Parts: sequence; C-alpha cells; structure tokens
Amino acid sequence: MATVVIMPKQGQSVESCIITQLFKKKGDHVKKGELLFAYETDKASFEETSPTDGIILDLFFEEGDEVPVLTNVLIIGEEGESIEALESKEIVSTPAEPSNENTTKIIESKPAEHTITAEQRSTISVGISPRARNLSEKEAVDAGQLQGSGPKGRIIERDIQSFVSKRGKMTPLAKKEIKENEGVILEGSGLGGSITSKDVTTQNPVYSTDFEIRPLTNMRKLIAKAMYASLQNSAQLTHHLGADARRILELREKVKKAMEKGYPYNITLNDMVGMAVIKALKKFPQVNSHCLGDSMKYFNKVHLALAVDTERGLMVPVVKNADDLSIQGLSNQFKEIANACKKGSIDPDLLSSESATFTISNLGNYGVEMFTPVINLPQTAILGVNTIVPRPKDLGNGSYGFVPFIGLSLTYDHRALDGGEATRFLKQIAIEIENLEFEL
Amino acid sequence: MIDLAIIGGGPAGYVAAERAGAKGLNVILFEKKMLGGVCLNEGCIPTKTLLYSAKTYDNALHGNNYGIEASNVTFSFEKIMARKNKVVRKLVSGVAAKMKTNHVEVVNGEAFIEGRTDKGIKISCGSEEYFATNLLICTGSEAFVPPIPGLKESGDIIVTNREILSLTTKPDSLIIVGGGVIGMEFASFFNSLGTKVTVIEMLDEIVSGMDIEMSAMLREQYAKKGITFHLSSKVTQINGNEVIFEKGGNVFTAQGDKILISVGRRPVTQGFGLENLGVELFKGGIKVDNKMRTNIPNIFAAGDVTGFSLLAHTAYREGEVVVNNLTGQKDTMRYNAIPGVVYTNPEIAGVGLTEEMAKAKNIPYKIAKLPMAYSGRFIAENEGGSGLCKVLIGEKYGEILGVHMIGNPSSEIIYGACLAIEAEMTLQEMKEVVFPHPTVSEIFKEVIFEF
Repeated sequence: MATVVIMPKQGQSVESCIITQLFKKKGDHVKKGELLFAYETDKASFEETSPTDGIILDLFFEEGDEVPVLTNVLIIGEEGESIEALESKEIVSTPAEPSNENTTKIIESKPAEHTITAEQRSTISVGISPRARNLSEKEAVDAGQLQGSGPKGRIIERDIQSFVSKRGKMTPLAKKEIKENEGVILEGSGLGGSITSKDVTTQNPVYSTDFEIRPLTNMRKLIAKAMYASLQNSAQLTHHLGADARRILELREKVKKAMEKGYPYNITLNDMVGMAVIKALKKFPQVNSHCLGDSMKYFNKVHLALAVDTERGLMVPVVKNADDLSIQGLSNQFKEIANACKKGSIDPDLLSSESATFTISNLGNYGVEMFTPVINLPQTAILGVNTIVPRPKDLGNGSYGFVPFIGLSLTYDHRALDGGEATRFLKQIAIEIENLEFEL
Repeated sequence: MIDLAIIGGGPAGYVAAERAGAKGLNVILFEKKMLGGVCLNEGCIPTKTLLYSAKTYDNALHGNNYGIEASNVTFSFEKIMARKNKVVRKLVSGVAAKMKTNHVEVVNGEAFIEGRTDKGIKISCGSEEYFATNLLICTGSEAFVPPIPGLKESGDIIVTNREILSLTTKPDSLIIVGGGVIGMEFASFFNSLGTKVTVIEMLDEIVSGMDIEMSAMLREQYAKKGITFHLSSKVTQINGNEVIFEKGGNVFTAQGDKILISVGRRPVTQGFGLENLGVELFKGGIKVDNKMRTNIPNIFAAGDVTGFSLLAHTAYREGEVVVNNLTGQKDTMRYNAIPGVVYTNPEIAGVGLTEEMAKAKNIPYKIAKLPMAYSGRFIAENEGGSGLCKVLIGEKYGEILGVHMIGNPSSEIIYGACLAIEAEMTLQEMKEVVFPHPTVSEIFKEVIFEF
C-alpha cells in the first residue's frame, strides 16, 4: 500500500506553506528518514522526512509552489504499484477543512501565476500540439509561459500565433539569442519597432537591464505588511532617554569572571535590560497591553518578545510568562528562541505579535546610538536598546566625569499612552537598569 | 501657434518639415540661403553631377576598350558647370514644391532664437517674431579651415567645397589638402578632366573610416591615373600657390593653381541665438540622445549640427525620428547601419563594422571576401577593372555585421546590406534571398556562400 505524504500543518494559524526545495524527484528511491522536501510558512522553515522506504511514485508540486496544508504532496510506494486511487491532489484527511472543490481549484490555477524559470522550461513537454511546437521553435516562443486554449488547456498553434502577434516582430538574430540565453525582452528598438538582439540580451550594462526582479519571499511579504500596517494604523512616536550603565557593566564583568570559574549562565546586557523591562512593566501595567482601537486589553503576565535578525529576515519570537523567570531563566529562554528562529524551527505560534505584550529590539551591538523602532501591533509599545556611549555627568561636588550611558528608545502608541506615562515608564526602565541586582 | 519651427532647410530640416507637414503639424522652416542646404547646393548633388560628366568623358575616351572608337573627344568645363547649376536649381525648386504641398511655411531669412517664453520658444527673423512649441535645429556644418600660416594671405587660390563648385575655368593643377571623401571626389573629377592633382593627407591612408584595404586599392588605382599622393604628411605653410608640408621629418613643397582645403567640417552652433537656450554641446556639436532630444525640453537637433555622422542620409533619418516622436510614433535613431559611400570611379561603399572596428571593439567576427570578378556583370562592364567585396559576420550567430565593396556600382548595391544589418539577418536568412541575375549585387550573395 502506497504512502501519501501530505503538507503538514505547522501551527494553528498556518493555512499554506511554500515548497522551498525538493530533495527527490519522481522515480527516486527513498529510505525512511531521508529528506523529502523543505517548506516554509510565513515565518519559519521546516523539513519533511520520509516516513517509509520506497520509490517516489508521484510528485504533485514544484519548488516555489504554495501548497495548502494537509494537501497531498507526493506518494511513496513499491515499483509498479497502482496509485490510481491516490492520484489526486485533493485533501485526503479532511478534518473539518474547506471543501475539496475549493482546494483543488486553488492548486489547478497555480501554474498560471508562476513566472517560468529555466528549469521549468524544459519540463513542459505535454500539452502542446506538434504544429504549435514547430511554430514556437521557429518563433523562439517559450510555450511554457502560455495558457493553452485547446482542449484541457493544450497549447495549440493559434496560441503561439496570437502571442507572436502581440510580442511584435523579432529579428532573426534576436530569435537565435533568446533561444539560447535567458533574456528579458525590452521594447523593440529596431526597424519598425522590431525586437533586435540589443533588446533581448542583458550584456549591455549601460542601456540594458542591470537589475533583476525577484518576488518577495513569503516572510518578507509578511514583514512588509506588518510594518506598513503598523505605521498606517497607529499614532506612534519615540522618546529617547539614557540610563547610567555602570551597574549593568559591573554585573556583566562579574558574570564573565564567574563563567571563567564554570558558572553556566552567560547573562548578557540584553538579558539584564530584559529583566529591567519586566520589572518596569510590572509597575506600569498600562504599557503591558494591546490597543484594540476602541478598547484596551491588559495582561496580568508579561509576554516579552525579542526582535531577532536572521538570514531569512526579522523574526520576533516571544518568551511567555517572562515575569515568572529568574534572570538565568530569562537568559536561557532568549537564547533558545533566538536559536530556534535562526534554525527555522521556531513554533509559528510564538511568532505572532498577538502572543506578546511588549517587545525589545536591541541594536546596541551594532553601535546604533538612537532609532525609532516600529511597534508590533496590537502591542502598545516597543523598546529600542542602543549602544553604550560615555556621557559627561555631574558626579557631585562640582566635579564632572564621563559615565557610560545606555540609550533607550521607547516607541509607543499615543492612542494608548500619553507622553507623561510613557516617559515615566521609560524612566522606570532606566531606574531598574541603574539599580539592577541579581545573585549569581 | 507653431507646432514645429525648424532652423535650416538642409536634408535634416526639409525632410523633417515635409514629414511633419504631411502629418498635419503647423510647421515653419527658416532658411537663410537656399533650400536643400549644403547637400543640394554645395555638396552631394553638385559633386555627383560633375562626377557623372567626368565618368561620361572617361567612357568616351576609353570606349575602345569596349570596341567603340570615338575621335576628338573633348569637354567644355563651362557646360559641365552650367549643367550642374541646372540640376541644382531643379532639385532646389523641387524641395520648395514639396514644402508647399505639405503646407510648410518657408521663411527666407536668418532666424535668431530669442529664448523660451511663456508663449513658447521665441524666434525672430527680420522684423517678424514667431512662437513655437517645438524647435528643431538643423544648422548643419561648414568646411573647417585650419589656421595654417599663409593660408589667409593666399586669397582666391584657397578654395573649399563651396568655392571650387563655382570655378569658371578648370585649373591646370590642384592641390587637395585632406584626402577624405570630399577631397577624393574632387580629386577624381579633376583628374578625369586632365588637371594635375596632388593629394596631401595627414593620416597614413586616404578616405579613413572605410575598409583600409579598399582605401589602399582606390589610392593605387588613382595613382595609376596620375594623382600624386602624400600620406602621413602635415601641411605647415602655404605661400600663394605653394604648399609646404612635412613628411617623416623632411620638408616638401607642391605647386597648384588652386588649393582645396578639405580637412573636415564643423557644426554651426553660433550666430543664431543657440546660447539663449542653454543647449549642451559635445565636441563642438549639439548633444542629443537617441531621440534627437537636446538637454532642453522641446528643443531637438538633427543633421551635421550634432557633430557626428555628417551625412545627408543620417540627417534625413534624424529629422524623421524627431517628427515621429512628436507625432506619437515611438522611434529611435540607430547608427549601426548607416552606409558610407565614396563616389569616386570606382566607387567604394560600406556599411556596418569594418574589420578594423571589430578588432578595436573586441567583437568576435568571421570574414569572407571575393574579388568583384566573381560577378559576370562586373566582368562585362569593367574591362580591366578590379574590385572587392568583404562581408563580416558575428562569430556565434552569423549575423551580418559589415559589408564593404569597391567597384561600380557599389553605391547602388549597399542598401541591401543596410537592410540585412537593420533586420539583423544571419547567414541562414541571407542564403535564402534571391538576387537578380546578372547583376554586380550578386557578389554579396557569392561572399555569403564563402562562409
């Protein structure tokens, strides 16, 4: 009995995933535990391994396809095994999911939306009439990018003809070049507007295309949408304030020394700032909230999110119930979620902005002295942590000296908080930083 | 309101006026001298008329090569010049008629650009003022006369292409400073009529820009006909009829009744208020883009005034590009298939890349060539004559990159090569074209099959 591998459902909010890489193709042998394909959700990426030994009898998708969760991706079985019963892209296990018809339609319409890549070109071997194929050869048309108008979407001669007439005249040299090279056709600049070799090659960096257009990754799209929406839908502004960093620098030195003697917790400045923020939030519960427009949602617990820079883009995982943690616990949790993001194994539910009550974005490592972080709506505020710079300070008795200061940039939603509250809260963070204490 | 004002009624100006008028634009054309410009009045047309007289005389003199005996063959310089004037008059009036048919208002006078105003581009001519939405500058070029010591003092002896066309008597000897296209055409004409011609050229070969092998063939043929050539020679002084020049460190002199200065031409960008517009210049000409736009909106330039590709047929096309874009038809100027012709006897014609250019630009190419004798028609009509045809193709796809030929009537054949280059035809398509037989043009096809 053949085994169907479906697109797993990763997290409650995930409805579809994109196949980023296929490690096997149709006809390949696989062993149990071997990688089949990699896929990504809006925020994380995963790999699917084979549940059994066998041969890939069929594969329904290509790299880059967006596949609804719980949809059949491929079938593994014995050589020659009949898979007719399974030859369906429809959902097999349907736990109260949308109707089959609906899902199938989404998949069927997929190819039309694709931009054709070089690999795909060669795979188009079915669904074209011999006359259409001859004409497409002669006219240097990539038939794969056409929508067939024949029976069952078969590409017929007429489709090529109409494409050629729309594309415009093309010189023989241009046809030869486009057959051989990947070229973008610009506006025809030759006789009577015909497309010349200059209009298809990408060799001339002066007049030609010194750029390439890449679709946004799903994650990029999501970040873009969230950030844009944040600035459009809230009244955010930023206050900057510095905290005397002598205390936390001293603590950090202690941690380092202790670690040399085998102390297991590498408590960083970021962890300390996180701890200070939690303490401040407990004193200013109105900041530990979500602004819902005409109402506010106040939380009893602090769910602290941390902005993490990864190869795939910005990720903001949350540490739930952070106010229950000791600084050692917080430090561990921060490291754990950051690593999970970098590896792509983070639980997507931990990335939702609704699951956190407040966010910290730390750019101090990079030497940033001041910035205006963007709120993760519906949270009401976000703290930007800056680098430490020496600043002159009145040390009393008329003497002044340079003191290390850590910059704090609080962006808050003025719909939810007023300037006075925000300032007092920010000042509280500074006070917590200046008076932080913990036992090693 | 004037849609398009054009300054200069030469090839760029009158063709643009004709096309724009035909498309219904309100066009005004300013010309200070004669319609037709240098081309019609003191360039292409008068020289070709003279050269045809010379060729007819040559044919009559050497008819015995073809079994025709004629004795007492003579010519009248006066009548040759008179016929040239008649041809020019006829064609100039033809241009005037075209302007009328296409509702172009022609103003005879010196236009002056006053500047841009809220009413449009202000141009004055005489006491009249005109306001135009668009302005096309086609003021052309003039012979460049270098500051050679003694040149100015030599007075009437010094001529340019303009004065030499109004000579009333044939000079017995002629020195030509500059062996380019203009110099060689006059050299050919006067050589045929028996004038002793000396050509002094600064570069190491005459008619630079054409295929070097063909330039050398032309020079050798004319040397046989009696023209003296001094290559790599720099004129240092002129004393009346005497030209002093330097060659390889040595000083030589040459004597001539007339001295033709044909070292080059330079764009006319002064004296008509161009500075009032702030138009950017480049190497002395008006800087334009591939739609003939200058840096100032609504100001265009076409023809020799741009300072490059100083050819009437380039000017025609540039004028058309301007009008097409003004009237909503996208069009761009391309310079890769502009033919060049030297109307000597034999003619040289070429289009596209020469071997020298391909090498300089590092373009991978293949080349094939055949003597003109491979054409039956050429043998029939050129007793004892020789010629050559060369074709350059792209190494990878075999597209036609350049075609060059020497031998009559290359000037009439070369357009076929222009089409092939414009259409980016490759060997495969060229081989499918049927050429008329028997014609000299078949040589092109013969060379194609040499690859």
